Amino acid sequence: MSAVRLRSRSSLAVSALAPLVLIALTMAIGASGTPSLRGTVITILCEMIVVLGLQVFVGNSGVYSFGQLGFASAGAYAAALLTLPAAFVALQTPGLPDLIEDAQLGALGSTAVVAVACGVLAAIVGLPLMRTSTLAIPISTFAFLIVAYNVIANWDRVTGGSGGLVSIPRTTGIVSAGLWAAGAVAVALAYKWSTGGYRLQATREDEVAARSLGIGVTGERLVAFALSGMLCGVGGALAVHQSGVLAPTTFYFVASVTTLTMMVAGGARSVFGAVLGTIAVASVNEALRGVEGGADVLGLFSIGNTPGLAAIGVGLILLATMVALPDGLTGGREAGELPWLGRLLGRTPVGDLAAPRFVAPMGTQKQAAATRAPAERAGALNARGIAVSFGGLRVLRGVDLTLRPGEALGLIGPNGAGKTTLVNVLSGFLAPDAGTVELDGVDVGGRSPARLARDGLTRTFQGALPFPQLSCLESVAVGAMGVGARRGKAVAVAAEVLARLGLSERSSHPAGSLPPAEQRLLGVARTLATNPRYLLLDEPAAGLNEAEGEELVAILRGVLEGFGCGILLIEHEMSVVMSLCPQVQVLDDGVTLRVGAPAEIQADPAVIEAYLGSSYMEVANA
Amino acid sequence: MTELAQNLIDALALGSLYALIALGVTLVYSVMDMMNFAHGEFIMLSAYALYVLAGVPFGVALGGALATGVLIAVAAELVAFRPVRKADMSAQLVTSLAVATILQNVVMAAVDARPKSVATPSVVSETTQVGALSISNLEFITLGMTAIVLGGFGWLLYRTRAGLAMRAAAENFDMARLLGVRADPVIALSFAISGALAAVVGVLLVMQTGQVSPTMGLTPVLIGFVAVTIGGFGRMLGAVIGGLLLGAASSLLGSYLPADLLPFRDAIVFSLPVAILVFKPQGLLGAATGEARV
Amino acid sequence: MLELRGTRVAYRGVEVVHGVDLGIAPGEVVGMVGPNGAGKSSVLRAICGLLRPSAGEVLFEGRALNGMAPERIARLGLALVPEGRQVFRTLTVAENLRLGAWDAERGEAAIEPVLERFPILRERAGEHADRLSGGEQQQLAIARALLSRPRLLILDEPSLGLAPKTIDTIYELLAELREEGTTMLLVEQNAVRTIDFCDRCLVLGSGRVRAEGKREELRGDNDVVRAYLGGAVERQTSDGGMGR
Repeated sequence: MSAVRLRSRSSLAVSALAPLVLIALTMAIGASGTPSLRGTVITILCEMIVVLGLQVFVGNSGVYSFGQLGFASAGAYAAALLTLPAAFVALQTPGLPDLIEDAQLGALGSTAVVAVACGVLAAIVGLPLMRTSTLAIPISTFAFLIVAYNVIANWDRVTGGSGGLVSIPRTTGIVSAGLWAAGAVAVALAYKWSTGGYRLQATREDEVAARSLGIGVTGERLVAFALSGMLCGVGGALAVHQSGVLAPTTFYFVASVTTLTMMVAGGARSVFGAVLGTIAVASVNEALRGVEGGADVLGLFSIGNTPGLAAIGVGLILLATMVALPDGLTGGREAGELPWLGRLLGRTPVGDLAAPRFVAPMGTQKQAAATRAPAERAGALNARGIAVSFGGLRVLRGVDLTLRPGEALGLIGPNGAGKTTLVNVLSGFLAPDAGTVELDGVDVGGRSPARLARDGLTRTFQGALPFPQLSCLESVAVGAMGVGARRGKAVAVAAEVLARLGLSERSSHPAGSLPPAEQRLLGVARTLATNPRYLLLDEPAAGLNEAEGEELVAILRGVLEGFGCGILLIEHEMSVVMSLCPQVQVLDDGVTLRVGAPAEIQADPAVIEAYLGSSYMEVANA
Repeated sequence: MTELAQNLIDALALGSLYALIALGVTLVYSVMDMMNFAHGEFIMLSAYALYVLAGVPFGVALGGALATGVLIAVAAELVAFRPVRKADMSAQLVTSLAVATILQNVVMAAVDARPKSVATPSVVSETTQVGALSISNLEFITLGMTAIVLGGFGWLLYRTRAGLAMRAAAENFDMARLLGVRADPVIALSFAISGALAAVVGVLLVMQTGQVSPTMGLTPVLIGFVAVTIGGFGRMLGAVIGGLLLGAASSLLGSYLPADLLPFRDAIVFSLPVAILVFKPQGLLGAATGEARV
Repeated sequence: MLELRGTRVAYRGVEVVHGVDLGIAPGEVVGMVGPNGAGKSSVLRAICGLLRPSAGEVLFEGRALNGMAPERIARLGLALVPEGRQVFRTLTVAENLRLGAWDAERGEAAIEPVLERFPILRERAGEHADRLSGGEQQQLAIARALLSRPRLLILDEPSLGLAPKTIDTIYELLAELREEGTTMLLVEQNAVRTIDFCDRCLVLGSGRVRAEGKREELRGDNDVVRAYLGGAVERQTSDGGMGR
């Protein structure tokens, strides 16, 4: 049996090679042109490295950072100071410690040192920044940019102040710039396709769901932030070794907007997009800059002296992209995933789906016996006396619940009965005012959702779309990665789960392109990849028709037997609950009304009354 | 003693200026869930109106600045922000960044990249004696303008029909629409008021520095953003408090920092918010209730 | 007055209402009941313009409402008392009422007569709305809706979260409104009361109309119970559910 892969070999090759090919082409154009063109190409390649740094953080986390140019600036200054001859350093920046003043590294050495230093700096700066809320990160990184600028511009004795530095050795050539750019591409792709990268992308797609799968959001963001700082520092170092001069304003606001535009125009989620966007926007930028001093356009009309024309052009590109093409030229996809490229290579495009089918898995039980031992039957999820109040409203007033592995328990009740609140308490999203939750005998009160996922308790969310931009296989593999599996194992687990649920055919399709019934199933698959002992499903049958509901029941039965986990099913679709669950617990107004078999529940006057209103049966029998 | 009082008044004056900036930013945020980076350019363009109208009686020039602020804000909303109304906050922020870049560079191209000086009435740069204190007239004007603006703003919000519509929209836009409040006019009005606030700030900045430059809006808008963030997103009172705190901190640091650390004042001031946010991620007052949609 | 023909509504990409037909004549009081997730709220949202029907028509006095902005629909004479009341908690009671009278012909003069009916609101006019109890907030929401003198009053689960006695008060109020000829569409999860109260009721289940009729026809109808609690016990097979 061939090993399952996250993407086909050809797709992988295309995705990895395409950006490198573009870089090579750019280098070739530069090498064969005038010195001025050469210089421009080198600049573009340096910018590309910074943009790749941006992409690593912003593209994978979905959170904008406006401070990355601060690291480029720091890297540039460090590189300059490390390569300036001692005499120059003493002249321009008398305040430096002798160690640095006397150091004179070569181009390669200084860039390597800068890479490490900026990575570390970014990790330190990122530590507090990543702990702020998702909304606050863009603004606090802006603040960081200002702080960096302010420090650099005023620390005269170390940085030369607002006058900057001059006479920096100009050592960056097309080859070195191109090689570093290729290296940056390799780093960006390697990270994006690593377990850490996938976990971060999961937080981009759905932060809450990611937490519930065991992913630590702050930690993943910090890793990307540090990596991003490293790449930006390298870009800055190479740039300064091309221009030979440096000022605090070199890597400040204008550069931030330009690099941001390059990333967005290419497609923030894509490494190929970062490369493509850099080249596209830089070309426009250079063209406009050439015209800034005034020029004749094709002999048709002339433009007067307009400084800032290039920046206006860049701004317009950014505006147009945000309004009309928010996912950029690549739509956020890597080269190997682009539909038109696929057609070119003769493959059927992934985006076109055959008529959606809902396939019941075949031979689920046999497969289960062969490949996986059911979970231990001992132990239970035990909640006792759960009470929750919101303001003055008592939502749960002392509820008990017991769930055992291999068993299905239905949780039903009218609107406002407290079902979702109870699940929030069980899965660690809400702390109860009173009561205990025990997992296999251990008190798990206060544990985070991520921790509980690793302990074997996972949940799904109502109406949530499972990581729309990732492929189905990737979406499910993230579940396994969240609880610590390495990529190879995660992919294998994901493939198995998809097979069990009848979704194998959809492995490489983007999760967002699936019809709703299958998306729901994918959400279940994702939680199964975390190897749960206890699975809390929140309305998986919502919006399904009768036939689909029956399929869901069949599949969930297969899950019970094949995976051996316990399932708590919150549902309003009574047909689903009653056919799957041998036991049903009815909640009303914050307390448990009744626990029993479906037939008893359906005939129980108290239950009927809770749903339908008082004395329904009396009226019925009157 | 007098020195302390002097410094406190300076702190209050600067804090008031920052509070005005923050108020302009938070008004648009609370109604539209959008942090508008172009607010800095609204400030800048209003200031340039004073430059363009040099030679004209100052009162007229002031009117021109006000009109500029309002018009440019409403125009930006109509042209650039309406198409991205449904996008998420980050996307809208980036869009406003694009608008800001365009506006900034248009001014650079049309006028000059270098700062230009603007003559202001001489009374502005004089000082008045109050007891033992020597307070600059500009500070009086700043404090006075802030009081008037806050008062007027409060009157508008709490005593007019339009203000009621804005407050309702800020809490729960969908519900307001269900009652017949029209979305477009409310949003246009918030931008207009935001533009007017920007104009006031622009005029005060010109009076303070005597010049205009295309990049003069960058630092104010970042101050506004940071003030809104530490005060609590969407809370008008939080924005005012955030602005006062930032301004006071900046001013007091300016007065009391040892000379060799003085150039790093901005760095210190902008690092403070991060410290606050780490402990109180939702800001000092917490984010506005952000009422569930209908 | 209001007519829905084959209306389908999708929420977040999932279709939750699979073709609902509904008609309300002037002066009628029509109820819509059904369990959670049946699609009742989505139907109301589609009527009021907060959601766009993915198919089918919504007609108000012959005019198509599909795609119209909510504020325009409100001006046509539809008023919604939404689920959870959704009073403006940062505004006072009086300000909430002013918003209700936003487009009213007589403007704020319309408020006084309405307050006659809600003495408790007059008492607490200056307080912020979040100080009111659940029942009082419900009264405020209804008063607010009435101020525009709507041609059609729509109520989404008015009894949600209220104590039985308070529910009685609310329904007495609704009865008065019915006497005065107000056309109403009432959505509730509590079926008995609604079936009893309304001239006609629709029972929604899984996005479709399961039963429809007058109170005598629906009372004690097992179909209604089935719509709520399933009744598919007989469908459970003994071979693990794979056979069919």
